[in-house]
Amino acid sequence: MSLFRATSVSVRYGQLRALENVDIALEPGVVHGVIGPNGAGKSTFVDALSGRTRLTSGNVEFDGADITHRSVRWRRKAGISRSFQKTSVFNSMTVSQQLELVAHRNHERDLDGIVDALSLGPVMDRVCSEVAYGTQRSVDLAMALIGNPRVVLLDEPCAGLVHDESVNMLQHVRDLCRERGVGALLVEHDVDGVFRTCDVITVLNLGTVLCHGTPDEVRKDDAVIKAYLGSAA
Amino acid sequence: MTVEAPLLLSDDPLAPTPSRRLKLGISPRGVAIGAVVAVVAAVAGLAVPSIVNDLYWMGILVNGLLLAFMSLSVGFMAKHLGLISLGQTAFFGGSAYLVCIATSSWEWSPYQAVAFAILGTTAMALAMGVLVVRATGIGFMMLTLAMGQAIYQVVIQEWARDTTGSFDGVAANIGDQTFLGMGVSDLLDPTVFWNLGWIVLVAVTYLLWVAGRSRFGVILEGTRENTERMRFSGYNTFLPRLAAFVFSGFVAAVGGALYGLNSGYVSPELLNFLKAGDGIIAAIVGGLGVLLGPFVGAFLYVYAQAEFNNSGNLYLYTGIASVLVLVFLPGGIVGTISTLSRRLWSSRTGRKPQA
Repeated sequence: MSLFRATSVSVRYGQLRALENVDIALEPGVVHGVIGPNGAGKSTFVDALSGRTRLTSGNVEFDGADITHRSVRWRRKAGISRSFQKTSVFNSMTVSQQLELVAHRNHERDLDGIVDALSLGPVMDRVCSEVAYGTQRSVDLAMALIGNPRVVLLDEPCAGLVHDESVNMLQHVRDLCRERGVGALLVEHDVDGVFRTCDVITVLNLGTVLCHGTPDEVRKDDAVIKAYLGSAA
Repeated sequence: MTVEAPLLLSDDPLAPTPSRRLKLGISPRGVAIGAVVAVVAAVAGLAVPSIVNDLYWMGILVNGLLLAFMSLSVGFMAKHLGLISLGQTAFFGGSAYLVCIATSSWEWSPYQAVAFAILGTTAMALAMGVLVVRATGIGFMMLTLAMGQAIYQVVIQEWARDTTGSFDGVAANIGDQTFLGMGVSDLLDPTVFWNLGWIVLVAVTYLLWVAGRSRFGVILEGTRENTERMRFSGYNTFLPRLAAFVFSGFVAAVGGALYGLNSGYVSPELLNFLKAGDGIIAAIVGGLGVLLGPFVGAFLYVYAQAEFNNSGNLYLYTGIASVLVLVFLPGGIVGTISTLSRRLWSSRTGRKPQA
């Protein structure tokens, strides 16, 4: 039994089919990458799994129980958290205030551990809108990791980061997930980063699953090469 | 939670991260210090009648004091929910009406009447809050405006005349009973009434201060700033907003009950939108970003109104003065003073001011 499983997930906006029959299963300590060209439905997928968007059909299971219709709050309390592609922090608060705010609700005992792992120590007393963009991305990620969630859904944590920051961020994600036994879904634009970081990869194209497997299998898949990777692979 | 020494800010990235305990909101020590300041302010204010020693000016000061409840209640919601309510008259005026109706028609004692007015109006704020706090921005303003005007319209109906007196209003009837040792003539006398009103005003301001700095205040701030992230962090984003709305209604209700006692008479103007405008302009002129902004703003506003009224062109001058303040002191009068003093402080100490 998987920790977190989505079966035949479909999301339609009127006539537009954003997702069609997508399946995914997350396991503890495994980083599961989702890649795909623009418009493949990656962000919709995270929204659907995190409860932000309603499913047209399909269901989501967590720990063997159906949670398809559970609220965002319920999911967070049960141990499913997410980060945002468009940085979603509390701009006017200091970094420490907002981390404490989230930690308070989610009974985090080891905030220092997260702060150290993401190297946020030096900026803890700065107002969030004044810290560097890359650091704000780390704050966004930190808020998703607080409270020992069992599943984290990461929506492009490297969006807008320069290459070195991006490498660092993915390193953090992988280490934290392995250490804490978290089942992670990593939606990412940076294909090289995903191949480097993830244990399993699902490739989406036009709302459907194109291919699924280990990085090596995906890299060799003809359909993926044709649709997405092109000559770069 | 335990009391902790403030963490020292270090700019050296190599310095070890100090171990952090969760300390959301103000510490018990901060609450105690605030209480001492409040008690000192309350006692000091009791000297005002003997210093001013003039019935006309005491009347103006009492009017400012009563308006302060309304502007504080508007200011609390503006600061912590980012919402402007145009309907606080429903709670201020509603409570004043209940005091007058309960003491006259129902012949209740002033204590019963005041308790009923405050509790009843706060309950009304709860019912209205359930309907309106989900709205944001303009929607919230329109809903609160509609609510306030609805109460006004009900009160002026001819069929309600037996209870509300319609356009004639209602007079309180305390007879020879007393409220906290004050008879009717004492309650009407601004030099006597000031003491009661001032102590209650300071107490309410202190409560607002604690609420704003407490864990509750931090949660409100988070919700105001990023509601979605709060939900995804496991927070209920409805109940804290509702609680803030009800608390704000309670503050207006306390002021309204005092108004009823002091004036001994209520008329529909008290429920009118113009009255709500007084509270809002006073709050904005004083400054919405700081707790004391609406507090000071109310006194300034009443003083200015008295001066402008003498000239015979009340609304023209009120408008001009409001525009001047908003253009040249966008943070309000108290807000600007507090920003300037913080800047002065940081340039003297060479440290960045804490946000």
